[in-house]
Amino acid sequence: MNKHIFFVLSFLVLNSFNCFSQDEEMSIINSNQLREKIIEKSKETLTIVSDFEQFKHLDFLSNDIKSSGKLVFKSPNFIKWEYTVPFKYSVVFKNDKLFINDEGVKSKIDLSSNKTFKSLNNLIIKSVKGDMFDDNLFDIKYFKNTKNYIIKFYPKDSSLKSIINVFILSFDKESLDVVEIIMKENLEDYTLLKFVNQKINTPVNDEVFTN
Amino acid sequence: MMRFLQISLLFIILTSCSLPTTRGLVEKPIDKKYVLNNFFSDKKKDYLYKAKIDIYNKKLGGILIIKKIGKEHHRIVFTTEIGNKIFDFEIISDDFKVNYMLDELNKNMVLNTLQSNFNILVKQHISVEKQLNSAKEIIFKTSYDDNFDLYYFYLKEDKKLFKIIKASKKKEKVIFDFLETRNNVGTKIAIIHQNIQLKIHLNYIGN
Repeated sequence: MNKHIFFVLSFLVLNSFNCFSQDEEMSIINSNQLREKIIEKSKETLTIVSDFEQFKHLDFLSNDIKSSGKLVFKSPNFIKWEYTVPFKYSVVFKNDKLFINDEGVKSKIDLSSNKTFKSLNNLIIKSVKGDMFDDNLFDIKYFKNTKNYIIKFYPKDSSLKSIINVFILSFDKESLDVVEIIMKENLEDYTLLKFVNQKINTPVNDEVFTN
Repeated sequence: MMRFLQISLLFIILTSCSLPTTRGLVEKPIDKKYVLNNFFSDKKKDYLYKAKIDIYNKKLGGILIIKKIGKEHHRIVFTTEIGNKIFDFEIISDDFKVNYMLDELNKNMVLNTLQSNFNILVKQHISVEKQLNSAKEIIFKTSYDDNFDLYYFYLKEDKKLFKIIKASKKKEKVIFDFLETRNNVGTKIAIIHQNIQLKIHLNYIGN
């Protein structure tokens, strides 16, 4: 009788693990092929215009902090990150500088003077395009589920690691566009960015990046 | 005439040395042993603010999150708009715990200032040592430490807390202005330092 209960329980436990582990780790051959395809795709990506939703999860809060806005990227390294709800705030990364417009109050940060800011800036630009494949900077792991490829980038640098434990990028399996970015600070806390209404290679005027 | 001048001069010197916070106020017998600051008292609420910090003309912005997680226990986290943590503190009664602080800001002076500001901002029960009245306000005085006192300003009309001042015997050091409030939440708060160039403006973005 006890043996039966043990088997039933084992079955239930194993099955429940199966339900949670929908992401399947990819083989080295498939990972390398995927990596090539994404790098190729990011080279062809000259502009991205997209709406985004941001969810800041902190373990001790009752609800995630939600915000939303618009993202505009232009190759090689112009990016505008604009929040419209629940506050108006935009940041432009341009020529190693960060231009902030905080509800009309403008400021400028020279990224070249700050190592952490500079590497974070480069990573944000690269993550939006999906091209973060630098083995010197990250340990990279590849997964897939029915809808997406999921690539996890674990920083090797200790100063970056103290801010972000892992970057998790989700790619649409068909288009290879980045549809989701998760920046995990530790086991409990993370920032989730979801991209919607993405337009790739639509014309973008340089004036967009004046802040 | 000479005597009048002497008295006038003495009066000017005495008033200019006195603390502006209490000037013109009348001391009254204490109504109650302690008063409440309920602006961060609801455990079910996430208190979220868009914060603008102006320090020696440098501007810093971000999201300030304050959460009551137990009796006399608050968690206070400041992040960039994109979500990266700048600092993460816990206040448990009189203890102050630093869970995380960005390296660039991890300096004693910054930590002490923030600790003092947040201690005062979230402290709910305040024991009253002295009561002072004006025509429209009731002011409760309590000591903060050996050198500083706190003055809590309530409107007589609706009994709402609208200002806290941290002051020495002679000078005001920090003014906490609750400029707008809604349903027991301080929706617009300004923390203005008088001795250093530091201003913190908080605008509520929670539900």
